[in-house]
Amino acid sequence: MTSLNSRVRWPIFLLLVLMAATIIYPLFFLVSSSLRTNSDYLNNPLGLPSSISFENFVVIWNTYGAGPAFLNSLYVVTIAMIITILLSTSAGYALAKLPVPGAKLITGSFVSVMLIPGQVLILPIYLMLSRLGLVGDFSGLIVVYVATSLPFAVFFLSVSFRAIPDELLEAIRLDGAGFFRTIRSLILPVGGSSIATLAVLQFLGMWNELLYAFILLPDDSKRLLTPALAQIGDRYLNQQPLVSAGLLLTASVPILLLVLASRYVMQGLAAGVSR
Amino acid sequence: MTLVHKAGAAAGHPAAAPRPRKSAMKRRERTVGFLAVLPALVVVVGFMLYPTLFALYISFTKTNGISFKWVGLNNYVQLLTDPLVHTVFINNLKFLVSIPLVIFLALIVSVLMFERIRGWKYFRVIFFLPNVLSAVVIGVMFKQLFGYYGVVNTIVVGLGGERIEFFTNGSLAIMVIILALVWSGFGYQALLLLSGLEAIDPAVYEAAALDGAGWWKRLWYITLPNIRRVLGFVFIINVLYTFSSLFGFVFVMTAGGPGYDTTTIDYLVYLKAFSTSNLGPGAALAVLLFVFIGILTVLQNRAFRIQED
Repeated sequence: MTSLNSRVRWPIFLLLVLMAATIIYPLFFLVSSSLRTNSDYLNNPLGLPSSISFENFVVIWNTYGAGPAFLNSLYVVTIAMIITILLSTSAGYALAKLPVPGAKLITGSFVSVMLIPGQVLILPIYLMLSRLGLVGDFSGLIVVYVATSLPFAVFFLSVSFRAIPDELLEAIRLDGAGFFRTIRSLILPVGGSSIATLAVLQFLGMWNELLYAFILLPDDSKRLLTPALAQIGDRYLNQQPLVSAGLLLTASVPILLLVLASRYVMQGLAAGVSR
Repeated sequence: MTLVHKAGAAAGHPAAAPRPRKSAMKRRERTVGFLAVLPALVVVVGFMLYPTLFALYISFTKTNGISFKWVGLNNYVQLLTDPLVHTVFINNLKFLVSIPLVIFLALIVSVLMFERIRGWKYFRVIFFLPNVLSAVVIGVMFKQLFGYYGVVNTIVVGLGGERIEFFTNGSLAIMVIILALVWSGFGYQALLLLSGLEAIDPAVYEAAALDGAGWWKRLWYITLPNIRRVLGFVFIINVLYTFSSLFGFVFVMTAGGPGYDTTTIDYLVYLKAFSTSNLGPGAALAVLLFVFIGILTVLQNRAFRIQED
């Protein structure tokens, strides 16, 4: 429909700007209110800050536990993501290109558990981890994140690795490369953009996760950021500038990822659907 | 990390050695392949497949998590006859209102984006933005916007109205959650629909243009019928979302209240599983939810496939 004349293009542009504004405005409001004091905010919630102060961020980071929670989240999510990528690259490559006994059965079971919701898993996982003494321990949550990410990750990577030409694999094998060298010098460079897409998707998913993080790390000292924000939003709702700062802090990492790695996030667009 | 250990061991002995015979090489390839899949398989079986079966077992028992007493279908019978479960199920149905809203907005945006207007790449990132945010962030943000001293109430007061307490009234609270759902969903779904539009053969449009079909005619007779598969898909994910992913919103915005007015099935699972001494009913409800979602998916898939033929 590119034959539209320019007379119609302007209204379309304006309509799109309007739709985009409905998304941008609430976020703009967060930024604006997070830079104000509470009394300045209550004076006129719709207004702009009368003076800019980063006090809310300092308070929420130091006194309301958002700082440690931010670091906890970064720690847990990074480790879980790296393990997921390692295991799914290895399994994805094998399922795509090696003669794995029972490959159909394995792929089938991965695809079928992909749809199992957290509500079904959380109770038995809680009981299992508490028996292992891992409730309240970062490693318990990391294992759960890895396990729940793997079915999709393996499926996604095995599909994209299948597109790697067999001639390349044959060539590197004649060169005497084994499993590890094949992954390092062929799969990683050729399938790198799929792996990056997957890494970004998984990172976002885990960073934003609430149920497991809330239940499996019950101590305040080990809270991750997303559940910590849920609590801050609940307890201090009447201090909106402070909550705004917390929201921005939590949203900062996903937004940064979207801006810096928009190519990979967008590539994951269609793939993310199957989550 | 034992996981990393296993991954290391899995592929620890490849290649090297003088070239073996064909069958031996084949066998070794199979071993390497199996060992490469093994770590992922162990984790998935241990922490997804086993817990699922465990959940199924719990749902047939009366248990505090330590001792289990088999009660057969008792939990299921109780749930299916529990008026609270019925109320909560109806709450879920109310959230279906969001679907036509989301799809309508998504359609508008996608059709507009399809015109490849200037700056469409930036628009794409903006419309994608809510999709990378947690339900917690979006939920708390909407709770704030609709709070007693929030933006919406400031506008209401500015227009001469009284402050509205959105979260003490069930219907208003549901409305706010629906708005949050629409806000967070329409941009992403617009991009899904856009990818459907881009898959339409341009020749079809050229032919229509030659026939003198106007923009609206083309939209109605060519564009929409050609993306019905994507539309069907978007519809399905919306329905699934309504039944399985409201937990985050409900958790931060209303905690299911007032009363049980905004409690959804997935939130009720959480309530039943973690605030009572008998875990059986919670597990049974989770299984019921899962089965319900599964049946729904199959039915919807079939319905849209029939239209296809």
